[in-house]
Amino acid sequence: MKKWLCGVGGVLAALVAGAAQAETITMWARSDDSTFMPKLVDAFNKSQSLHKVELQIVPVNELVQKYAVAAAGGSAPDALSLDLIYTPAFAAAGQLKDLTDIAKSMPYFEALSKAHLSVGTYQDHIYGMPFSADGSVLIWNKKLFKAAGLDPDKGPTTWAEIRHDAEKVNALGGGVRGFYFSGNCGGCNIFTFTPLIWASGGDIFADNGRKATLDTPQMRDAIAFYQEMVKGGLVPAGAQTDTGANFFAAFATGKIGLTPSGSFAIGALNSQFHDLDYGVTYLPGKDGGWSSFAGGDNFVVSKSTTKMEAVKAFLAYAYSLDGQTLLAHNGSLPVRQDIAKEALKGLDTRYLVAADAMAHGRTPYSTVFNDLINSANGPWNTMLNKAFFGDPDTIAPTVRNAQDAMQSIIDTAP
Amino acid sequence: MSITLKSEADVRSVGVPRRRRRRHDLAALLYVAPAIMFVLVFFLLPLGMTVWMSLHNWPLIGRPRWIGFANYNALWRDHGFWNALAFTGRYTVAATIGLLAVGLALALFVEKPRPLVGLYRTVFFLPVVIGFASASLLWAWLSSVDAGLFSPLAEQLGLTNGRINLLATFDPAFWSVTVMVIWKMAGFYMIILMSGLQAIPADYHEAARIDGANFWQRFRFITLPLIRRPLALASILCVSGSMLAFDQFYIILAGGPQNQTITAVYWIFNQSFVSFRLGYGSALSVVLLGILMVLSALQLRLFGDREPPR
Repeated sequence: MKKWLCGVGGVLAALVAGAAQAETITMWARSDDSTFMPKLVDAFNKSQSLHKVELQIVPVNELVQKYAVAAAGGSAPDALSLDLIYTPAFAAAGQLKDLTDIAKSMPYFEALSKAHLSVGTYQDHIYGMPFSADGSVLIWNKKLFKAAGLDPDKGPTTWAEIRHDAEKVNALGGGVRGFYFSGNCGGCNIFTFTPLIWASGGDIFADNGRKATLDTPQMRDAIAFYQEMVKGGLVPAGAQTDTGANFFAAFATGKIGLTPSGSFAIGALNSQFHDLDYGVTYLPGKDGGWSSFAGGDNFVVSKSTTKMEAVKAFLAYAYSLDGQTLLAHNGSLPVRQDIAKEALKGLDTRYLVAADAMAHGRTPYSTVFNDLINSANGPWNTMLNKAFFGDPDTIAPTVRNAQDAMQSIIDTAP
Repeated sequence: MSITLKSEADVRSVGVPRRRRRRHDLAALLYVAPAIMFVLVFFLLPLGMTVWMSLHNWPLIGRPRWIGFANYNALWRDHGFWNALAFTGRYTVAATIGLLAVGLALALFVEKPRPLVGLYRTVFFLPVVIGFASASLLWAWLSSVDAGLFSPLAEQLGLTNGRINLLATFDPAFWSVTVMVIWKMAGFYMIILMSGLQAIPADYHEAARIDGANFWQRFRFITLPLIRRPLALASILCVSGSMLAFDQFYIILAGGPQNQTITAVYWIFNQSFVSFRLGYGSALSVVLLGILMVLSALQLRLFGDREPPR
């Protein structure tokens, strides 16, 4: 009898202990992540039986609003794969859990993407962990390069070389243009245009995003570089009003010589446009050097969550070689540099350029990023659209106006 | 006053017993209850909530803070909003004149039975059933300089030297959106005005014709005065609809070129969901509601009956 009781007690104890540890967490991700997130979550759920992640994919343009509504109603998801540039805004609003201790206890903490962590940190606490990544690069059409008498295996390394190559390709005629960029898309240009400025020694924010530093010689030079290409007829007319719809599609038509793009384009071109032979290189500075915008998602945890065991387990899996390989093979760059090469093994070598670009890339820091940069009507996009398609003497006043407008938004932010 | 009081008292003493009357009222209330609930839940509550939010610093994420009328004070100095309102006014004038003129012309065309009139009515009305977002997407594609229809067509017909990007400068951009709206909505106003036209007895026109009135005279002195009420309805719907324009400018132009086509609702959307200032967006909404109410009241007065009471 005693033995029997003991047995029951043991089973009960095991059950209770099990119930206390096994956790199911809900997680949201934006629709841009829909190729790799479901696979990663499935793989995690299958890799162990204790914890479970339930994933919900949210349309990218609704994620912030949906999260805000859910958080106000007390039904926020436990975790969120958040576009990394929003991390400062969410942290500043007091919505996120402090992950500093968890992050610093990871043996590979030093190898995690520095750019992701820089925007994941608010007032010296880490709220966002690097999760998925995308880096901006320059891509060129090898077939058009060959036809134009250029070396198809050598991408440009300075602005003058970009201009030269674009002119050669443009001279082919027949609807072929040298260069393309989305001229009315703030989000596209922060991703592909700022690296030109960074690589030339400039920057757009200082002092943790509290100071706008648009009005620099590097900015004016970079704008003039684009403006001259527009004036030279190297860019299709539609670029002026492209709000991002053709950011990728223009190059995919095979009629564009060069375009700044992102690592996402490699996967998309390989899977949908087999005949298009293209090269990938770094976005150069005016006279050499290079830079990249490190984009992607940070993993953040809602403040109200108590299920930290499952969160930790999921993060550990995502950072494992299995997790990183799965991400790398499904459209995201690895965020752990010490095993990045291994995770990318067997993939198109062009990914290595993008992964390297991302690893040394930067991410601008601002708690009002959406207002300043992503808004179609914000100071960043307004400035670029006006200056890219204006005259040389409009550049300086346009940049000055944008600088003032940005600073005033930063100063009056709630 | 005393007369009404007396008659009420009479009813009370002579007419239905009080209890049955009360039950009667209750039943009536039950019948209208769904409608009242509907108005309450979907109109009054959100409206109250909007007013309440407008008195707070209410970020999209984070905690709201009571700030009284500070949002309304800030609104006076918000040049962006007043510019947006001025643009909305300009668009409203253009769209209203265009819609009512085209709607009336179409109504005159399809009012009388003639061969294929059913087909014409259907064709003119068809664009109305397309959503504004779909119509805008369609138009954005048609207006695209590289892949669309208008610019390449104009170039091939020799109308323009090279392709012109219609959406890159203000005037063509503004007019292409306005033309889209007229194409899409004229059929709706055609139906409203047509019902008015059909209610005019044929004798009036016949008598005028016998008196020697020409088409314009008959239109000016018989048709127009007799469709005043449907015209007032069409005009109020048109003005309030145009003052709330958003989708077409957001989707086709993204407020461009150079933020010159940002409407009032677009500005409210930007404040609320791009800048994450829901409280301020609510204050702007309340002000816009006030402006709309004034505009509608003005129109009702303008179109109202000025005949002496019978």
